[in-house]
Order: sequence, then structure tokens, then C-alpha cells
Amino acid sequence: MSREPTLDELIGAGATGAEREQLQKAHELLLQAGAPPELPPQLLKPPGVEVARRQRRRVVKRRTLALLAAALIVALVFVAGYGVANLRNGQSKPTAAAVLALKGTALEPRARASLVLWHPYDGNWPMTLNVVGLSKLPPQTYYEVYLVRDGRILGSCGSFRVSGPHALTVKLTAPYALRRGDTWVVTRQGPGTKEPGETVLEPVST
Amino acid sequence: MRKDKGDMELAIEVPQPRLRAVPAPAALSPDASDAELLARVGEQDREAFEILYGRYVRPVFSLALRRLGDRGHAEDAVQEAFAAIWRSASTYRPERGAAGGWLYTVARNAIVDRLRRNGPTADAELPELASVEPGPEQRAEDSYVSWRVHRALEELQPREREVIELAYWSGMSQSEVAEYLGLPLGTVKTRTRSGLARLAAALEGESL
Repeated sequence: MSREPTLDELIGAGATGAEREQLQKAHELLLQAGAPPELPPQLLKPPGVEVARRQRRRVVKRRTLALLAAALIVALVFVAGYGVANLRNGQSKPTAAAVLALKGTALEPRARASLVLWHPYDGNWPMTLNVVGLSKLPPQTYYEVYLVRDGRILGSCGSFRVSGPHALTVKLTAPYALRRGDTWVVTRQGPGTKEPGETVLEPVST
Repeated sequence: MRKDKGDMELAIEVPQPRLRAVPAPAALSPDASDAELLARVGEQDREAFEILYGRYVRPVFSLALRRLGDRGHAEDAVQEAFAAIWRSASTYRPERGAAGGWLYTVARNAIVDRLRRNGPTADAELPELASVEPGPEQRAEDSYVSWRVHRALEELQPREREVIELAYWSGMSQSEVAEYLGLPLGTVKTRTRSGLARLAAALEGESL
């Protein structure tokens, strides 16, 4: 977050003495802790009790698999060597191919985002969308990220939801042969619609 | 048996029945302490587990995300951490320390196990500036502060939590938060203040 709020700004100058000290401490800890991450839908409900048993079975299974894994090592070494030979400049960490800044349209004026485009593998371009300020949508509606070429929507790169305007990071993929000048927009999709909805985030340069 | 008028009341001692109904476990209060919940989870109480999950899923996920740097691995680690809690809750001894600290240790161990299995992901290891990257001790302390604060956030009322999250992490000013929520600015400030006070009390009250 670019701007850290001050305690005065948040609560005014009302609190004094010990109360103020206590609030200041909580304020500093909140700043230090940072935002809690958005909880993925899979984690909204606790795991079934079965999970615990499954975990135990998994340990036994893991031991068996370890033996099989040893037999596969030779094959993996070959595959890894092949992969390394294909890595660019010997780099093992992904590097960004491009970063695109997006700003909210009149529908979501406070929203902003950055879209990081990573180098492709097997024809897929991994992307990371960091977004903040988008509104929570009603049930069955969602946000969709579209690839735009020559001013026209070419195809979808994935969809996501938010539970509020706080920061969210989403991983997406562009399974297209990208060209110079390609760009992206984020739209708001209503229930059951296949066509691109209204644009809520667009590239800063346009 | 029906009693007739002429029947005498006999003052005899009725023997206690041999079979006694097993007392139903006391109803769980949503305000039950973490230690109480852990004790119940140790007896395989599903309801207690669900309450505990609600309180700790965000801190555990946050911790996992910090350490693993990958949402998919972090989600798996959360499942594993709670499975470990379910399995080992009966080993928790309140006299040895607070429940929050015990849960932190179990969660951290599950996350470290996953880290060992997967190896760190590229995202987790991407430093922006090598020279200012915190060392392991600082990282551990930061993780622990986040754990405590994110856990304490669960103690807030939803309306307090909402304004705190918007004020601290959305980048909006208090006026913008007020406009966004359709509330008077004074109400937003009052809720922020009461939320901070509740948070401070929760952080002070825990003895981790």
C-alpha cells in the first residue's frame, strides 16, 4: 500500500493518555502485520474430519511412493537436464516479460491494478493480477480479464471475485500467441452472460 | 401405574438405577476460549473444531502464504495444519502455555513440512532489494506479529473490522471510506476507534 494512515487521521485527536497509547500500539501492530490475505473459497469451510484420517493414510502412501520416486530419479534427471538446457540464460526464476498498469473506469473509479506478464511456457503466458479497490459483486457475478488486440476483445484470460475493496492477487494465464500492442481489460460479468460485460479496469495509457 | 385413593405411600428407599444417562457435553459458547475449544477438539468435537477453524483460518493462511509464497501450496498447508490440529489437540496441556502459541507451533510445523516437500517457490524467494531483506529472525518475528494481529482481527465486530481493513489496507482516506460505505465520517472514526480499542485489548489479553 502506498499510503500509511496516521492515528490522528483515523480517529481524530480525541483519545489521550493511556487510551491513546494503547490505540497507538494497536495501530503500529496493524501497520506491521499488513493485510490478511483474501481467503480462497476452498478454505471458507473447515476440512472434513476425514481429512485427518486421509493425512495419516497419506503418510503410509508417501513411504511407498518414496520407493517409486527413487526409481524415477534417473528419468527425472534426464528431464531436468533437458529443461535446464531450454532455460534462458540459465535463469531458474521466472522473469516478468511486461507489466501493465490498469485504472478504474467510471464504474469503479477507485480501482487500480497491475498485471504482470511472465515469460511463456508451452504457449501459455502466466500472469499475476494485483488489484485493489474493486467492489464486492452480487452472487453469480464476477470479474473477467480479457485480452484486447487492435481495440477488440480477443479472448478471456480468466475470472475472479473479490469480497471487498482490499488488495487481492490473482494468478491467470493468457493461452494465446501474444503480439506487441496487445493489452488487457477487466469487465464485470452478470449471471449467465457469455459476452464481455462492462469494463471496470482499463490500461492507464488509453 | 395408576394410583388408587386407598394406596399407601411407602417410605422406602429406592435404589439408584445402575445405568445412568451419560451427561450431554455442555453447549459450546461462541465465546469459549481457545483452550476450551482445543480441549473439546481433543475429544473429537466437530463443533469446537469449526469454531476454532473460523478463528484461525486467516492467520494460518497468512502464515502459510508468507512462508510458501504460493496460494496453491498455502491452501494445502492450511488443510494439513488443521488436520494436524484435529489429530493432536488431545496432546495440548494448558499448563504448558497458551493455546494460541500451541496452535502457532502446530501450524508452523505443518507449513515447514510442506516447504520441505515442495521447496520454496520462485515468488517466495524473489527479493526486491537484497540489502534490505530481513533476516530469518526478523522474518520469524514479523510472521508472529501478523499471526497475532490477524487472529485478533477475528475478535472485532464485522462493522469494526470492515472500517479497519478499509482504513489500513485499501489506500482510502477516512472520508473516502465514509463515502464508500455510505456512512457519516464521524461514524467511521468512531468505529475505527472502538475497533482499535478492541484489537488492543485482544492483543493484550492473549498470553502467547
